[in-house]
Amino acid sequence: MTHDRADILIIGAGASGAAVAWRLSDAGLRIVCLEQGRWHKPGEYSTSFPDWEFRGATSFSFNPNVRALPEDYPVDDTASDVTPLMFNAVGGSTVHWTAHAPRFHPSDFRVRSQDGVADDWPLSYVDLEAYYDLNDQWMGCSGTAGDPANPPRAPRPMPSLPLGPDGERLARGFDSLGWHWWPSDSYINSVPYRGREACNNCGPNGLGCTVQAKASTDVTYWPAAIANGVELRTGARVFEVTTDSSGRATGARYFDAAGTVQSQPARLVVLAANGIGTPRLLLLSTSERHPNGLANSSGLVGRNLMFHPCAAITGFFDDGSDPTWRGPLGNILLSQEFYETDSTRGFVRGYTFQMNRSTGPARTALGFAMAPVAWGERHHADFAMRFGNSTTVIALGEDLPEEHNRVELSASLTDSNGIAAPKVSYRLSKNSARMMAHACRQAEKVLNAAGAHTVKATPQLRPSGWHLMGTARMGDDPRRSVVDHSGRAHDVDNLYVVDGSVFVTGASVNPTPTLQAIALRAADHIRKAQHP
Amino acid sequence: MMTLSAVMDRLVPPIDDLPGAGTMGLAPEVESLARRHAPYQRALATFIEKLAPKWSADLPASQQDALLRDLEAADGAAFTAVLELVYLAYYGDPRVHRRVGWRGGALQPEGFPLAPFDPEILQTTRQRKPFWRQA
Ligand SMILES: Cc1cc2nc3c(=O)[nH]c(=O)nc-3n(C[C@H](O)[C@H](O)[C@H](O)COP(=O)(O)OP(=O)(O)OC[C@H]3O[C@@H](n4cnc5c(N)ncnc54)[C@H](O)[C@@H]3O)c2cc1C
Ligand code: SF4
Repeated sequence: MTHDRADILIIGAGASGAAVAWRLSDAGLRIVCLEQGRWHKPGEYSTSFPDWEFRGATSFSFNPNVRALPEDYPVDDTASDVTPLMFNAVGGSTVHWTAHAPRFHPSDFRVRSQDGVADDWPLSYVDLEAYYDLNDQWMGCSGTAGDPANPPRAPRPMPSLPLGPDGERLARGFDSLGWHWWPSDSYINSVPYRGREACNNCGPNGLGCTVQAKASTDVTYWPAAIANGVELRTGARVFEVTTDSSGRATGARYFDAAGTVQSQPARLVVLAANGIGTPRLLLLSTSERHPNGLANSSGLVGRNLMFHPCAAITGFFDDGSDPTWRGPLGNILLSQEFYETDSTRGFVRGYTFQMNRSTGPARTALGFAMAPVAWGERHHADFAMRFGNSTTVIALGEDLPEEHNRVELSASLTDSNGIAAPKVSYRLSKNSARMMAHACRQAEKVLNAAGAHTVKATPQLRPSGWHLMGTARMGDDPRRSVVDHSGRAHDVDNLYVVDGSVFVTGASVNPTPTLQAIALRAADHIRKAQHP
Repeated sequence: MMTLSAVMDRLVPPIDDLPGAGTMGLAPEVESLARRHAPYQRALATFIEKLAPKWSADLPASQQDALLRDLEAADGAAFTAVLELVYLAYYGDPRVHRRVGWRGGALQPEGFPLAPFDPEILQTTRQRKPFWRQA
């Protein structure tokens, strides 16, 4: 079946797709979004059930290969040091995310000029600042302005989330070393906000938020975009962005939930399928004009995949303090003491420390940021040391782009519609390994300063592929990039990419506020191009 | 003859007034959880298939543990998956919740009280001058 032509076709209804849809929704355009997943009712999330820990480990896992739901596509990660994680639904991976919402620093956009590595971005912090602010309003940001590690920013829409006794203990550790720390900017409501409730401190916010205190785009941008007339079609798995004989995009073909092929023509196509889904689609969309995949004359589609190297360093406490499983798992405080390059450290660029809480008893035993709890005679002592008594410092490092780290199409693995699955090849660089070793040593110092009696480090956490970046990078030079500063493909003037694929470098912070700011900015460019 | 209960008692032994995970009667729960997730079901079948021929109830506990360690080394994936199942069943049980001080049940909609943020704690770090790098 062929549908009526849309002005704008967006593929993917996650963090970036929702932002771009909302921003364009009052422009008098016919906008359709195709999303392979479905709506989830917040009441269906794991934490509404007594067996939430089992659900979190299986049907609601972060890992699409473990969930293996019909709307998930498998990812061949056998050649990757990191397991890619994502969710496929209205809201995309923001259903699962922990909603930690830091911004890039101005220096992150000038890595080559400042440190002689990677590339500069074709836009700057100033170009994105107003969009960051807008996104903070729409997603709902709890935080405190005045962080000395970052440029000044507008008062946060809500006060910070409480640090809790465990956060305060760690903050005192940072203070005693004279190191920077600051309460995290968080897209979790500390007070009721725009019709959504305040967080009730339940804990594992990476499993969907039943009370909608955590911003996922199904409860922030989407209701507003739909009220403005955007059509969001779920159960629609795109397998080709179609083009005409001149090479311009003409729409997309997709499988509907019944497995029937449908066509959605459009004047302009926006890809928002994330740093793995977008290059997969571009590589699938070959034609005479685009024999190596759509918008791929540079050969860079799928290349330069970045995840953020990630170390998890856990401190164990026995000071009789409150249990550390109470409160949002990953949104308490961060330290950017080691953010920028310091040549004496033996690596270039830097990392952010983030505090993570512990979790429920079964997930503690499964080994959340560590190996599983020992079995046999040591079992109960090992469990007791961890459960409610441990705090993890996550070191999130800057991952420099390397062409051999990439997304390709698998020759053997397919999704439930028979479409080639992505194959991910990724090796941690020597720079990243040195950076994480440094981070482990520093984290041990701060955990000891906070009073930990024991510290254990996992220098490279494998299931840490939360952040998918770089696989359709932006730049001014069409030979060295896939899209321009606005997200428009160099090769196809009516095709945009607005998700983390466009990142030139990854900074050492979580990417979503930045990719949403980029999506909002792209929407303004699209609007101008539609109504010059 | 090997029973899943006997193996579970070696994996999670008795503590305080609780017997081992098997004697607590949690083997049917392990099997039922496995039925809800195909990879767990496959791992449990592999685990039993590989362990059962070697296992005997008459073996001393130390030798039973050695068999488990051998299997862990030979087929880490199946072993870890079964260990996860046993932990999910054990730490999903209300008797264990009581012992470790966990409320149990669904986390929502009740949650836990959320105190307000106390900005006093920022006193030290606020004294620091801005140190972000200009670009
Ligand atoms: C467990 C977890 C924790 C995280 N925590 C944080 C955090 O604290 N802070 C932070 O900044 N980031 C975090 N992230 C990352 C964050 O979720 C992502 O950066 C963000 O969601 C990416 O937005 P996106 O629009 O690029 O893609 P997504 O949000 O992943 O959305 C892409 C959508 O496209 C759809 N799609 C893909 N292919 C097709 C196709 N062929 N046809 C139709 N639809 C398709 C998918 O179904 C999906 O819904 C976390 C991620 C995870 C998994
Ligand atoms: S901790 Fe707060 S934000 Fe996270 S899931 Fe629970 S209620 Fe929602």
